[in-house]
Amino acid sequence: MFTRRKLLTALTLATAVGLAASGCSAASPQAPSAAPGSVDLRMTVWTSNKDHLALLDSIAKSYKASRPAIKSITFDSLPFADYNSTLTTQIAGGNSPDLVWMGDLSKDLISAKALVPLTDRLKATPEWGYDDLLESVTAEFSADGQLFAYPFSNSPFALYVNKDLLDRAGQKLEPAGLTWDRVSAIGAAVHSATGKAGFVVRDFDYSSWNMLATVWTGWGASAWSADGKTCTFDSPQMTDAMRFLHDAAFVNKSTPGPGTKADFFAGDAAFTIAQVSRASLLDGSFAFDVLPLPKGPAGAYSVIGQAGVGVLASSRHVEEATNFLAYLTNPENARLLAQYFPPPRASLLTGDKLAENNKKLSAAQLQSVVVDQVRGAVTLPNHKNPAEIAKKGKVALDALWTEKADVPAVLGSVCAALDPVLAK
Amino acid sequence: MRPDTAIARRGPWARRIRRAVLIGSLAVLATPFVIPIVWMVASSFKPLSEIFKTPPTMFTASPTIAAYAEAFSFQPFARQYLNSLYIATAVTLITLLVSSLAGYAFARIRFAGRNVLFIVVLTGLLVPSEVTIVPLFQMFKQVGLVNTHWPLILVTALAAPCVLATFIMRQFFIALPVELEEAARLDGLGQAGIWWRVSLPLARPALSAVAILTFLASWNLYLEPTVYLTSPELFTLPQALTRYTDAYGGEMWSTQLAAATLSVVPMLVVFVAAQRHFVEGIAHSGLKG
Amino acid sequence: MNTSLLAAGEAAHDASPAAGPPPRQRPARTRRGDALVGYLFIAPQLLGVLAFVIVPVALAAYYSVSEWNIFTGQLTFVGGDNYAELFQDPQLPSVLGATAIFLLGVVVLNITLGLLLAVLLNRRFRGSVLFRTLFFSPVVVSVVAWTLVWGFLLQGNGGVNGLLSLVGVDGPNWLQQGGTAMASVIVTQVIRSVGVNMVLFLSALQGVPPELREAARVDGASNRTIFLRITLPLISPTLLLTAIITVVGALQAFAQVAVLTEGGPGLSTTVLVYYVFQQAFEFNDIGYGSTLALMLLTFVLVLTLIQWQLRRKWVFYEA
Repeated sequence: MFTRRKLLTALTLATAVGLAASGCSAASPQAPSAAPGSVDLRMTVWTSNKDHLALLDSIAKSYKASRPAIKSITFDSLPFADYNSTLTTQIAGGNSPDLVWMGDLSKDLISAKALVPLTDRLKATPEWGYDDLLESVTAEFSADGQLFAYPFSNSPFALYVNKDLLDRAGQKLEPAGLTWDRVSAIGAAVHSATGKAGFVVRDFDYSSWNMLATVWTGWGASAWSADGKTCTFDSPQMTDAMRFLHDAAFVNKSTPGPGTKADFFAGDAAFTIAQVSRASLLDGSFAFDVLPLPKGPAGAYSVIGQAGVGVLASSRHVEEATNFLAYLTNPENARLLAQYFPPPRASLLTGDKLAENNKKLSAAQLQSVVVDQVRGAVTLPNHKNPAEIAKKGKVALDALWTEKADVPAVLGSVCAALDPVLAK
Repeated sequence: MRPDTAIARRGPWARRIRRAVLIGSLAVLATPFVIPIVWMVASSFKPLSEIFKTPPTMFTASPTIAAYAEAFSFQPFARQYLNSLYIATAVTLITLLVSSLAGYAFARIRFAGRNVLFIVVLTGLLVPSEVTIVPLFQMFKQVGLVNTHWPLILVTALAAPCVLATFIMRQFFIALPVELEEAARLDGLGQAGIWWRVSLPLARPALSAVAILTFLASWNLYLEPTVYLTSPELFTLPQALTRYTDAYGGEMWSTQLAAATLSVVPMLVVFVAAQRHFVEGIAHSGLKG
Repeated sequence: MNTSLLAAGEAAHDASPAAGPPPRQRPARTRRGDALVGYLFIAPQLLGVLAFVIVPVALAAYYSVSEWNIFTGQLTFVGGDNYAELFQDPQLPSVLGATAIFLLGVVVLNITLGLLLAVLLNRRFRGSVLFRTLFFSPVVVSVVAWTLVWGFLLQGNGGVNGLLSLVGVDGPNWLQQGGTAMASVIVTQVIRSVGVNMVLFLSALQGVPPELREAARVDGASNRTIFLRITLPLISPTLLLTAIITVVGALQAFAQVAVLTEGGPGLSTTVLVYYVFQQAFEFNDIGYGSTLALMLLTFVLVLTLIQWQLRRKWVFYEA
């Protein structure tokens, strides 16, 4: 009995002490300079691509050569599927990395003051060239005039075309002035002629609805107001855009309905909307083209998916981590990173520069689907509490994907579900 | 051919037909138990473009083992396999020891508060892991054991699955005749000696049932590794299976199937080879009416 | 009381303070030190339950009156806020409804199918061992692998509908409609786990003395009457045990939902367990997650108590 009580007390005590300790650990002060070989930096990334990791390792190696304080820099590859929750768990568990890649977790991190502001440091770094950064790509990672993450990847969404399938269905496509209505019509024709799918919004799968921004932006719609406080799913523009998608799935069948798998890159679909970086999935088994997104009723538009890299305030080596970030993203290394990730720097954004390292796409293609798109692009919906917004939105939006769905009513219920979360 | 019912009760034809009907309906019933496994194995050799072919095919004309190579190159799959194996083995061994000790004591040794303590232990069977997972995570976090295998081993070997094991062992020991123990006691053996030399050898069927159920419980854990582990080289099999997604979150179907096949087939082979022990072990464990 | 009736349920009954000592156990001569050995023997198990079950439940109660900032690690006392949220959460009624349907479906199907298979396989015939093996084999397949494969087969253009189209049936889009999605989750769960129940029932059936059935047959009882009046009452303790194990297992069915449907479409397959996980680990709302978890615990305890009370009505005890 005695043992039992003792253990119980010990456990509760350990928990209480631990909680108190973790409460104040975030505020620990920074030593201005570290002893040689005393600093281990860790950066979490979601790529497991060997070339990407090799590039990062080589940049780290050349940095380390001139910095005796740095003992090691490791790139920790976390699975993409639950990158956010793994990262959150690590931060909450006191096992915080020093630098992080981030996608839609950025707003959470910024509002929790978990990121180190970068603007002053980068501006003060000689020859870093802060003014080279495009404003259209830094906006999502900025707050109160401070940049909190360097947007190293700004990959526009594009329309991939399987020319072989179009030929088989006897369809002709005029790239100039291509509209969504035309894409849908050709898709329906391909589907009825070949049984293959028409167009596929990649990774949407009737679940990740934020990918639909690649479509609804063409109708002038958005998920919420610019200040992120009001849901705009019930706007007339969104209603029309969703009607278009609903009809595509259930009336002219130009896109596969829910629960039907079709992989463009395996040759199962005539079109897909996907990021330019996915060109690496093309295996040459069919003739393809890649075009800017089709025009919607609201005209031409472009959408990018972004990734940033930032320094966590909970890092034990904020100083060294920030220095490394400035090195990793300087003009020379930015040029190297641009082999794989469309850069945020105006000086690097030309079709010829991008084509130097791209085996799948030509300079002209890159010019039209990357360079011409990035400047005016809209990003995918990004907000605080991304997981909750994604889930609650999906739960409500699921009702749309049945044959007799009442589009305005469903979209109203989406807003009813999202507004309380947006207001948090 | 449908014999009339009066004869059907007696004639040899009727018996044969009834048997055929029985076997036929069992075969139909067995389809959803077997087809998924066969389909999984067959599809793991298909090129990606064939997995969702309409109409679907069971076997492919152009088999490839590319997915198997990918399964190992994409993440440290062999290591993850080993993780699952050694965790399940450790959990099983600890559980066998802990549950046979506790089961024996609850069945055979008289001490004050025995019944109350037994009920306290039984609550471990009723508290769903979802209730305890958040506090347990915080507790392990405080002692720095998050992202190690310790939570998976300790909790599984001492909490819920082990409580079921203790329960099974107690039932078994209660049903054993006490005469042998009485005799051993007259020979001067203490409780520990009786447990080790007399009762444990007799408890083999119950121990094998406990071993099987515990091993499977650990082998199948999904929520716990998902919560505790963040480094791919520490992952367990079920967790690893769901991580076959490309750098953009798209699922790598054929690789997933190849990895699933690798995780399932050895267990199935062991099971079929030892199926008598599996089924009989559970049947004779004392868990019966 | 007969030894064959030392069923799990019955024996646990012995554990309650009101019950007498187990029948086979004679009042043993207690030696000095025996009690100490007893405490030592149960110590690892008892400490394990205390550390990994009882303490966490107490901590969960503490978290349920707190608000937690996951990024800064700050814990604030919020009193009954999380409990108030239970009554305002617009999703909770659907979640509880889905949980009830899932539970009912799994328990009823799992027990009837397990019993049916056991009755069919209770006699020896060529192939009976093969069939036992087949029906038990999904038990050794990991839940995740099993569910992944069913996920493939249940796609709109997947294997199940392919099979149906061979016989001219245009199958539904299983995982995308509320009703069929829930049915799919239930059925895949039952197929995977019914083997254990089948084996438990088989061993129970083998404990039913054949003479009893023969005697009834001589008295002119039909097979149905024999099953309902003789076999079923005799195996009812096993029935109780499997019911408890199945209910507890069904309430914890996380992987099935997480992998097969992610709780959709809508909330149709969002069972409580999955909802708790979402709140605590995806939305980082640990306070509310803990509150929901405690509610789940209350359900389990109440359900077990009800089963325990009902057993007096339907579990058969030989005089």
